[in-house]
Order: sequence, then structure tokens, then C-alpha cells
Amino acid sequence: MARIGVFVCHCGENISRTVDTAAVAQALGEMPGVAHSTDYKYMCSDPGQSLIQAAIAEQKLDGVVVAACSPHMHEKTFRRAAANAGLNPFLCEMANIREQCSWIHDDREAATAKAIDLVRMIVEKVKHNQPLQPIHIPVTRRALVIGGGIAGIQAALDIADGGCEVVLVEKEPSIGGHMSQLSETFPTLDCSQCILTPRMVEVYQHPRIKLLSYSEVESLEGFIGNFKVTIRQKARFVDESKCNGCGDCTKKCPQKKIPSEFDAGLGTRTAIFVPFPQAVPNIPVIDRANCLLFKGRAKGKKKDVCGICARTCTRGAIDYDQEDRLVTEEVGAIVVATGYQLYTIGKIQPKEYLRGYGEYGYGEIPDVIDGLQFERLASASGPTAGEIRRPSDGKVPKTVVFLQCIGSRDPAKGIEYCSKICCMYVAKHTMLYQHKVHDGQAVVFFMDVRAGGKGYDEFTRRAMNEGALYLRGRVSKMYRDGEVIKVVGYDTLSGEQIVLDADMVVLATAMMPQLGIESLAQTLSVSYDQYGFINEAHPKLRPVETNTAGVFVAGACQAPRDIPDSVAMASAAASKILSLFSNAELSREPMVAHVNPATCTGCFHCERVCHFGAIQRKEVRDRQGNLIKVIAEVNEGVCQGCGTCQATCPSKSIELAGFTDAQVFSAINAIFA
Amino acid sequence: MSTATTAQQKPQAEPLADPGLKPGVAEGFEPKIIAFVCNWCTYTGADLAGTSRIQMAPNVRMIRLPCTGRIDPLFVIKAFERGADGVIVSGCHPADCHYAVGNYHARRRFAIFRDLLEFLGIEPDRLTFSWVSASEGKKWSEVVNDATQRVKKLGPFAAYQSLVDK
Amino acid sequence: MQELQELAKKLLSEGRVQVVIGYEAGAHGVRPAFVTDAADCGRLIFDPRCVHNLAVYLSPRRSPVKRLGKPAVVVKGCDAKAVAGLLRESQIKRDDVVLIGVRCSGVLADPRSGATLTGETVADKCILCDLHEPTLVDHLVGELRPPLPDMPRVSRRDLMLERISAMSPAERWAFWQAEFSRCTRCYACRQTCPLCFCEQCVADKSQPQWLETSPHPRGNLAWHVIRAMHLAGRCVDCGECERACPAEIPLGLLYRKVAQIVEARFKHRPTEDPEVPSPIGKYSLDDEQEFIL
Repeated sequence: MARIGVFVCHCGENISRTVDTAAVAQALGEMPGVAHSTDYKYMCSDPGQSLIQAAIAEQKLDGVVVAACSPHMHEKTFRRAAANAGLNPFLCEMANIREQCSWIHDDREAATAKAIDLVRMIVEKVKHNQPLQPIHIPVTRRALVIGGGIAGIQAALDIADGGCEVVLVEKEPSIGGHMSQLSETFPTLDCSQCILTPRMVEVYQHPRIKLLSYSEVESLEGFIGNFKVTIRQKARFVDESKCNGCGDCTKKCPQKKIPSEFDAGLGTRTAIFVPFPQAVPNIPVIDRANCLLFKGRAKGKKKDVCGICARTCTRGAIDYDQEDRLVTEEVGAIVVATGYQLYTIGKIQPKEYLRGYGEYGYGEIPDVIDGLQFERLASASGPTAGEIRRPSDGKVPKTVVFLQCIGSRDPAKGIEYCSKICCMYVAKHTMLYQHKVHDGQAVVFFMDVRAGGKGYDEFTRRAMNEGALYLRGRVSKMYRDGEVIKVVGYDTLSGEQIVLDADMVVLATAMMPQLGIESLAQTLSVSYDQYGFINEAHPKLRPVETNTAGVFVAGACQAPRDIPDSVAMASAAASKILSLFSNAELSREPMVAHVNPATCTGCFHCERVCHFGAIQRKEVRDRQGNLIKVIAEVNEGVCQGCGTCQATCPSKSIELAGFTDAQVFSAINAIFA
Repeated sequence: MSTATTAQQKPQAEPLADPGLKPGVAEGFEPKIIAFVCNWCTYTGADLAGTSRIQMAPNVRMIRLPCTGRIDPLFVIKAFERGADGVIVSGCHPADCHYAVGNYHARRRFAIFRDLLEFLGIEPDRLTFSWVSASEGKKWSEVVNDATQRVKKLGPFAAYQSLVDK
Repeated sequence: MQELQELAKKLLSEGRVQVVIGYEAGAHGVRPAFVTDAADCGRLIFDPRCVHNLAVYLSPRRSPVKRLGKPAVVVKGCDAKAVAGLLRESQIKRDDVVLIGVRCSGVLADPRSGATLTGETVADKCILCDLHEPTLVDHLVGELRPPLPDMPRVSRRDLMLERISAMSPAERWAFWQAEFSRCTRCYACRQTCPLCFCEQCVADKSQPQWLETSPHPRGNLAWHVIRAMHLAGRCVDCGECERACPAEIPLGLLYRKVAQIVEARFKHRPTEDPEVPSPIGKYSLDDEQEFIL
């Protein structure tokens, strides 16, 4: 027979005014298994807690029910008190007879009857409570950051500065991301490279950051605090330990006309190249697809057709036979910061639901460019050394038309969301243009100007005041007419159709997650939305966590983000990780699911409903080693304790500690006892 | 041969119990209703109703679970078996689930369950499903009062309760 | 039939399987056959009396069958869907079984009648059938016969379901209580179901005992409700439970209703594609919630 103690609180008069607390205590005292039942004015006070503790000792109680306020208020208090008296805290529960009884009913008789029911239910539940121990999980205090753009750089630096090691993985040959391509940044118009480059160098020189550039995450095992990640270091064909970054090889490379990715196709690079002068690490990489030697080898030529770079290199750093290497790193937490890419404008689209803008002639009319290309034209390090010259003939354009919301907010083209940053960068572009071309006219076609943010609205107004002509409406067609581009649009404010002669057109295209992010997300078991943006664990309360414990998200891979937002998210993720790393062990509530291996049939309904990936597959073998069955197993470090698995399990072979079937069953029965 | 004719050919048994449909059968009838609620939204919302001293019918007994995802149709069956006249299942609004998606799984499960019970002749008014957020103390009181009223109108769930006596 | 027998013979004699699970003529009509000797393959038949869903013998819980070795099993379209269910729910591996698909134009509602297959005598599930030629299979034999000229356009169960929906709740209650009251809890429905493969059925669980085990109306109702919930979106409508039920409870009617609910709400029908997840275990943000306050 159980020995439960029932402690009914008056809460001053908060409870006793409408509930006859003495009657509740008496009724419960008569219940089988209740060894002790009493009422008191304030159970949460020191004397009240002492009363409970004394009863635990004297009456040898094996369970405690405090009938008082909401467990959200004082469950911790009473569990601590019980623990201090030597009772496992999880054998103590609260019956809520204040918020859910005395405060909401004025009929004393009905309220007392209900209070008795409520306490009985909890008493019956507690009879089936099990002593539980907090779960301890060792934590590897080392983080992996995926993506070396501004978000990844910030997260890596914050974590490393906090005293923990970081592995930073970047798929491109250099870190820096899109921010390194920008000329100036809104709303301050400070030079992007000037603020970014020092941070890149800091990453490179940081004693606690291990930079793996030109590398990608291949696979992931484990769980929070204990991840094992396999990273593919793609072959650069340049030995990083020997190269000193002198750049002689790139100067001698005969393949010079390759469109430069960094210059968004407006400039050229060589086949062995460093993406941009400030690249970190400053080590070249050979682009196999364009290198004469590799092209020759691909054609099966016995003798290498080139090899100039190897002959040029005085340090013997060029290694044409280098192969991809797989490295394994153990980390305790992960930040996903893979950033964005721009919507492709033309007819050929990477995804089925996307529709391009054939009507804008992008790719056919050379002077129709996208926002990133304009950044490169405006950048002092760009192909025109910062002069605004149009790609077709190098002339300085006198009228530049900017179109906002290309892709964004256009369900017909496949994207419903607002890309958030375009209103701001278009305003910036008009200013940069007009600062550089004093007699130039910037014209903007917009749907709305969305400039929420510190100093943002002021910034777009400044653009308008400085002479940019803002026309509210969409452009329906553009075509080449001699030297100019005819832009046919509609001004909805004046109600007139407008045909403009533009020298150059800049399309503010939507931000999309990087292609291939879905497969990375699957590798990491994090969820993503219909566009591929990584889902945060909770849109308000857990904005930088994902549904997988220990995996965090920062920057534009979660949603369109500007630089300040990305940096803020990165720092938030870093601080979450540092707090995770502040203890050698992760301690958590033991309310997790457990599988009954005897009855589990291995249908894995639990695995399908588990949002957190806490269900693993486990082989059960007999003594001879023959496989008997494969069953589910819960990873305690990952389980969040929602219990959806248990309700789904047809044979009830998985149980959530603290809310087991026996506990709920008994509580239901108690109501009608 | 077909199930339809099979069902017809067999002698139709007497209805096993008074289906409990006559409104106002029991004068002064106070139904017992069990509510299965999630810890994070509805339970907290009900606490808020208390903190705001919103008065409501005293007929509901609440069982707190971590998530609507944990609520099993077996609970509802057992509640009816033990004598509940009505059952409430309540949790977080879509997109508010503390565990992100437990409420979506519950929504599917109880959509089927509800339709099935209706098909078997259990009045849908005996089963109430609601989303009540932590800030909706008022809504919780309305759910409680509304469910109580509807079950009162139906009368005691004699049909179910008398299944054992037969 | 010869095609089937020869295929079985080949599979057995080449050692690709150790047993062929099919149909043979027995004293009371057609019965399942377990042929382990290539010389015995002449026993195998397939005709409209072959109603049994042989996928049930693939369940890992059927240890006597398992001991016979690697099986080849004869499957109709509905049976193939059950095999897909076993694959989907990790009960078998595709490589561990050879599937012999049979083209099926319909089977008899009452196989023991030995009647000619007509619109009158055809099983109700065949009126609803959308899979006369299973594709999940390794081999496909037999010929598709022309559709029955008098094949009913609407399932008899669907007509019955319309009548039941038109009833008042009290009438529906009385209807089902009359049916369930005959249940003796023999669990033949469960044993014959290829998708009822739990090692320990919730009905046999005693701590806590959610389902009352004695055959009285209250426990019977709970049992049939919970079994229907467990089969929601998974039942392949092979009709074996109803055929096995000694109390003639119209279980096919009940599960047809659940299938209608699942299809109406989640646009899901059981398929023979094991990669298509069952609707329980997933969710959609757009699921209807008109019943939620």
C-alpha cells in the first residue's frame, strides 16, 4: 500500500474562501493509500514546507501531493522541499485547486467537490509515479560553424572568444560570403570590405578557430553535446602548408577569360585563382573544369598539356594529384549559417515552382543586371574599379532604372515572401549611382517601400531627396531599342503608362536559400520550409534554435536577413552555445520517453512522429548473434518529452516518464471513484 | 452476401440503452466532463482564467499532459467508460506548439477519432476540441461553459454508462 | 494457372525460395497452400475463390511460416498493398520475399459458394478496386478478364454508409451496439489481418488495462474503436477480418467508413508504394480543423 501525504493549502483565504480545505483534507485522508492528510494556511511558506518535510520523515511517506496553486507557480518549490527531506522530487506533485478551482467558482459546495476530485486524481497519479533521476549528458565543448559569411564569421569569433574551439567550414575557397562582394552597406554607406576584412583575418589568426575552406559537411552522427561530423575537404590542388600566397601561379595561368564568380560574371579570372585579393585563406585553387591540364586529362591525354603553374611555383605547392580528403571532427554544437543566393531571373530555374521573368530580357540584354552585379560595378575592387560603366559598351549610363520585388512577393513567379533587404539596397544603389554619376538619373519602380529598421526609413527618404525618381508600379516589358533599353511600365499613382529609355536596368532579385540546402538540412535532421529556409524551433521564443537540439541557425539561411540581423542571430546562437558549453555535462529533466524492448515491434510510427529525431533504430540479437528484430530506442539527449510517440504507438511500447499510461489511467479512474 | 444485406437480414437487436437524447431528462443534472489539456497553452490559459477570476461552470476536471500529441484516443474512451458525460481535448493553436508539431499530429488523430465516434452514434457535442492559448483565459472559460451547456442539453451519457449493465 | 505453377516450380527448383505461399483446392473450397517441393507446384491455383490475403504470412510474428525459409507469395492488388504496408512499417525487407503478382478481375464475396463471378456475387472490395495488376511484384502472372458487364457502379457498403449517415445518432448507436454486442473477443479479426502485427496487442496489455477484455458491450466498443483507429490510413480493404469474424460483424463497413474519413480529410488512399507514408505519422499545416473551437 502506498503511503501518500496530502497537504491542502488555504493560500491565506484564496483557496479556503470557496473551498472547504478541511473537508478536502478529511476526504482525502479516507482514501486508500493516503497515510497522512492535513491542511495549512500557507504551504509554500517556510513553516508549510517544514510541515511537509516533517511528515515525509515521520510518516515515511512515499509520495506527496500538495493541493494548492498551479504547478507552474510552485511545483519546483515543493519538489525541492521534498528532495531536501530525502524524497525523490518526482514523487511530489501538485493539485491545482486555486487557479483552476477556488478562483473560478463561487459555489462552495461545488468547488469543494471539484477540489476533492482534483486532489484524488493527483493522488492516484502519484501512486504510479516513479523516482526519476536527472539525465546527464557529457558535452564536447567545441562547435562547428557551417558557412563562412558574415553570420558564420560572427558566430565563430564569438564562440572562440568565449574560450571554446570552433571548426569553421566554408564551401568556397575563401570565407567572406556575399558581404565581401558588396561595395557599401546601408544605412551608413560604410565600405563593406573595410568592416569585413579585419574580421576575416581575425578568424584566420584566431588560435581557437580551425578554418576548413573549400570544404563541405558530408555526414553527421550523434546528438547534442556529442556530434561527430565528417567533412569533405575538396582538393585545391595546392598544398596549403607550402603555398605562401605570392600569386605568381595565377599571373602565369594561360586560361584568363573565365567569368569571375566574385565579380558576378562581370570580370574574369584565371583557372588557378584566388577569388578576390583579400581572400582568406589567401591560397589559390585550381578550377578543374577550366584548367587546360585537367581538361586534357579528362580527354584521356597521356601527357599533361599544361603545368605552367607548377613550374612557376618556387615552393612546389602545386599538386595535380591531390584528392578530396575526409576529416572527422567531434563537436558539441553546430551553427548553420549557409546564407543565401539570388533568384535566377531567366527562364531556366533551379526549382519547379519558380518561374523566371522572360519579359525582362535578363541574360539577353547585357545591360540588364542584378543587384549583386551592380554592387561589383560600384565597388572600388570591382571590374570597373568603382566606375559605373555598363557591361555592353563600357559607357557611363545616364539613366538607370531599378526594379524592386523581382521574384519577391510574386506568387505567380513562385515566391510569396518579401526579401526584406531589397528596398534598402535599391535606395543605396540609387545613391551610389548618383554620387558617382552626377548628371545621372535613377528611376525606381516599386510596389511598396518597406524600410523598417533603425535609420532605414530615413535612408530611403534620403535616396528620394537626393533625386531618385520613385514610381509606384510594375514593369511589364523591356526591350532593346538601339543603344537604349525601352522600359514599359505603369505608374499606379498617376494612372499612366510610362515608357522610359534606360541605359541600364538593375533588377532587385529575391533572396533564396542556397541550392542544396535541403540535403544539408537532411544531413543535420533540421526541418526547412517550402522554399528551403531552415525552420527555427519556435518563431518567437527560440529564433536561433532548430528542432534538433544542439543545432542552431543564423543569418539568411533561415529567412531573408540583412547584415545587422544576421550578425545579431549569429551572436545569439553563439551565446546559446556558450551557455550550453558552460557546464561539462548537460543536465536535463528526466521527462523523456523509454521503449519497452520486449513489446516493441519496430513499426517506427514513433520515428515518423518524432519532430526531434530522438528515435533511433536498435538491433536485438540473440546470444548466437542472430538478428531477432529491429526496435526503437530513444536518445535521451534529444528527446524533448512531448509524448507524441506514446499516443501514436499502437502497442503502447513507448512510455513518457512522468506521464505514463499507468499515471493517466489512474487519474481518469480517480474522478469517478 | 454483402455487408449491407448481412446487417439487414440479422434480427435488429433492441437498442441496448436509452441513448440519452431526451433533453432535460435529469432535472438539475450536473455533467462530469474531463479535459485533457497540454501543459504549455491550455493549462496556462486556464491558470490565467483563474488569475483573472473568470467564473465558469464547475463541471470540468482537468488532466495536464505535456502536449496534445500525448493525448491518446484511449484516454477519451476510458473517460466515457468511467462515467464522463463529456470530454474536452485542448492544446496550443497551430504554430504555437511548444514541441512545434505535436498539435498537428493530435489534430489528425482526433479528426479521425471524432468522425468515427460520430459514425458510431456518439453525439459530437459530447466531445469538444479547442485551441486555447496561454493568453486566452476568457476563451477557456467559454469553452468550459459551452461544453457544459451542450452536454447538459444531451443529458447523462446513459447510453455508454449502461453498456456494462446489459 | 500453368504459368503460375511453372513459375513456382522454377523458383523452388532454382533454390531462389524455399516455400511458395499460394492457393490450393481443399475440402471446403480454396485454402492457403505452402508448397516447399517443386514437384508439388501442380497444387497451386488461382481463381475468384482465392480471396485470402496471403501477406499475413509474411508478418515476422508468423514464426512457423518463417521457419520454412525464404518465401514467394502470391498477391492480388489488395494483398500487394498489405505487403507495401509491411515494408513501409519495417516488418519485412523487400529482398527477403519474392512477390508473385496475379492479375485479378475480382473475387467472390462468398468463396465457398463457388458461384460464377457476376456483379451479384463479386466481393464488395472488388467494386472499389483500383489495382487489378500489382506492380510492386517481382513476377506478374495470369490474365485480366474483361470487366464484369453487370459490375455495380457503387459499392454496396458505400450505399449502406449513406443510409447510416442519414440515421440519428441514437439509431446509429443502436445499429452498432447490435453488431458489437455479438463480439466474443475471439480476435480472429486481428489474427487474420496482415497489418495487425504488434508483438503485444494493446488489447492484451494489462498494466494498465486500457481495453476491458471480457466480451461485454463496453469493452467491445472500445476494442473496435481502437482497432479502427490503429488501422486508419493503413487498412488495405482486403476484407479478411470480416470474413474471419464468426459473429458476422460488418467490420468491412466500419473500416470502409474510416477509409472514407481518411480520404476525405487527408486525400490519402492506401497504395502499393511503400515509399508513400501513411497519413498517421505525418501532418499537413492545411489539415481541416472545422471541429476545433
